[in-house]
Amino acid sequence: MKPLVRLLMTAWITILAAQFGQARDIKVIANPSVKAGSLTVSELRGIYLLERKALTDGSPVEPVLQKAGAAHEAFFKQYLNRDSEEVRTYYQRLVFTGKGSMPKRFGSDAEVVAYVAQTRGAIGYVSAAADTEGVITLSVVSEDRKPRTLLSRVEPEYPETLLKLRIGGTVRLELTVSPKGAVDDVVVVGGNPILGEAAVKAAKQWVYSPWPSQTKIRVAIPFEPHP
Amino acid sequence: MHHRIVQSVLVFFCAAQIGWAQEFKFLDRTVQVHGFVSQGFVYTDQNNWLTMNTTQGSGAMTDMGLNMSSQITDKFRVGAQVYDRNLGQLGQWHPSLDWAVADYRFKNWLGIRAGKVKTTLGLYNDAQDLDFLHVFALLPQSVYPSDLRDTTIAHSGGDLYGNIPFHHHLGDLSYTAYAGHRSDSIYSGYPYLISDFGFYLRSFGGPQYGGDARWNTPVKGLMIGASRMNEKITAKGSSANLLEPSAGLLPYEATTKTFWTNQYYGEYLWRKLRIDAEYRRCYINVPYVPGSDIGIDTRGWYVSGAYRIQKHLAVGSYYSRYRGTNTVTGPAAALIPTETDPGLPQNHVYDKAIAARIDLTHFVFVKVEGHFMDGYGLGPYPDGFYPQQNPQGFKANSNALVVKTGFYF
Repeated sequence: MKPLVRLLMTAWITILAAQFGQARDIKVIANPSVKAGSLTVSELRGIYLLERKALTDGSPVEPVLQKAGAAHEAFFKQYLNRDSEEVRTYYQRLVFTGKGSMPKRFGSDAEVVAYVAQTRGAIGYVSAAADTEGVITLSVVSEDRKPRTLLSRVEPEYPETLLKLRIGGTVRLELTVSPKGAVDDVVVVGGNPILGEAAVKAAKQWVYSPWPSQTKIRVAIPFEPHP
Repeated sequence: MHHRIVQSVLVFFCAAQIGWAQEFKFLDRTVQVHGFVSQGFVYTDQNNWLTMNTTQGSGAMTDMGLNMSSQITDKFRVGAQVYDRNLGQLGQWHPSLDWAVADYRFKNWLGIRAGKVKTTLGLYNDAQDLDFLHVFALLPQSVYPSDLRDTTIAHSGGDLYGNIPFHHHLGDLSYTAYAGHRSDSIYSGYPYLISDFGFYLRSFGGPQYGGDARWNTPVKGLMIGASRMNEKITAKGSSANLLEPSAGLLPYEATTKTFWTNQYYGEYLWRKLRIDAEYRRCYINVPYVPGSDIGIDTRGWYVSGAYRIQKHLAVGSYYSRYRGTNTVTGPAAALIPTETDPGLPQNHVYDKAIAARIDLTHFVFVKVEGHFMDGYGLGPYPDGFYPQQNPQGFKANSNALVVKTGFYF
């Protein structure tokens, strides 16, 4: 009996490890306009099944697909519990019954990142090793752990000199948020230091939803000299 | 007829050249173009099936569709599809506007579609023509009879639809409520069947309304749902004078007194495995001739399973049961016998099917399917078997081989 139990335990651990492995192998990315730092699995599922066209804050979202590849297979297996062929069939059904359009599809991580970076509301997935310059990475949490939502956001002031010189870019910040929701600390992890200063000043005034413990949240703030 | 087949083949090969070139820009908007063509061959060993001479082997099973759609804004979308088919004596190459919709999504929980809209009824009603979506060459005929596709396929009117997530990890609910007008082709199964009884229809349709609710349960991959449809259908045309046949045809018009359909269903998806189960009951009460009503009660259900063994190969099987009974009152009872015993072969079709689908490329597939049928479910409402193709009478059992190929992009 004992060897059988051991065998079953090993198989179970292997399956779990494989599943977590898949999740680690992919990143869910979004255009910096997407304010949510994280999504629940069911939100992500709703977006990719075209049942949700907007996030809870009302901002529109557009799912972006890869044509094939390991990240593509892993994403649908992990978050939609579907074979990629089944997903293709699902979209075709919407298209041919007049109930939806085929989402944009790209052939590589780089193409997905490029499209997501320049398209407002776009959400995509890429392999973990992909260069994700210009987009933000969303964490996907289980239903039990609803994401911390941003309750109050203060927009940063554009430094006048840089605006005159038409210098822009994206600043990436790491926020330390208290259990009550206040932003205790802000670290600039990327971007122009002058823009970073303005972003830090604004982010310190943000308020998040309460959470059982202190959390670290990464955000990207775009500065566009030509709004 | 032959030039139509040649046309289909040409469309097929032209489409094959198009491949993925399925988008173009118009007024700065992206327009998506998609289409499909399928061609089937059916052989049966006993009864002729689906208005084809299948005991000789028949290839009179072709359909095709072409659609264009464009996402005008992130909330507003328009599109349309034309569809044409020839299935034995049905369709007869008369193209129709399959759907044409303007769709506006206000919120996740509320959208509106207006125009000619594909009707949401059960798992596959709106997608029953789309052969390339299914492992099976023929969906279970007890619930999705190919010869009666017009009776449920679309309505001219509007839908309200949306998705509502539940709290406490209870999944989400997708709903559709609709109202409109159904208009059947006179080249569909029911007008064809009753032409054998001396009724020749010019038009067949009427108002239709209903709804569908499907719950994505907290159990991963499990969805259950229910649909309801109410209708009031009027048939207009002419009929033979039953009392004095030499007097010629008389004008004929009849409107259903009661017409409803209930459908309950469940779907379970686990990666490469799909399991479906559906039950449909349809009840119709219609004055057949003045003073005589006929009540038709059909009940069908099936359980199916399909598994994708590898990227290019999927297999599946289903068991499908159709039972139809009718009661006739008044003078017509002398002409049409009341049938209340669903155990008789003329009142049922029990079908066991096995199928394999091979995807030769991303756009081309071939399906091979075997059917082992008990009964021929003739009744006053057809289910695949027609007296016109079986003048010698029916055998209790029929086996069928269906081979289908198709292209889509």
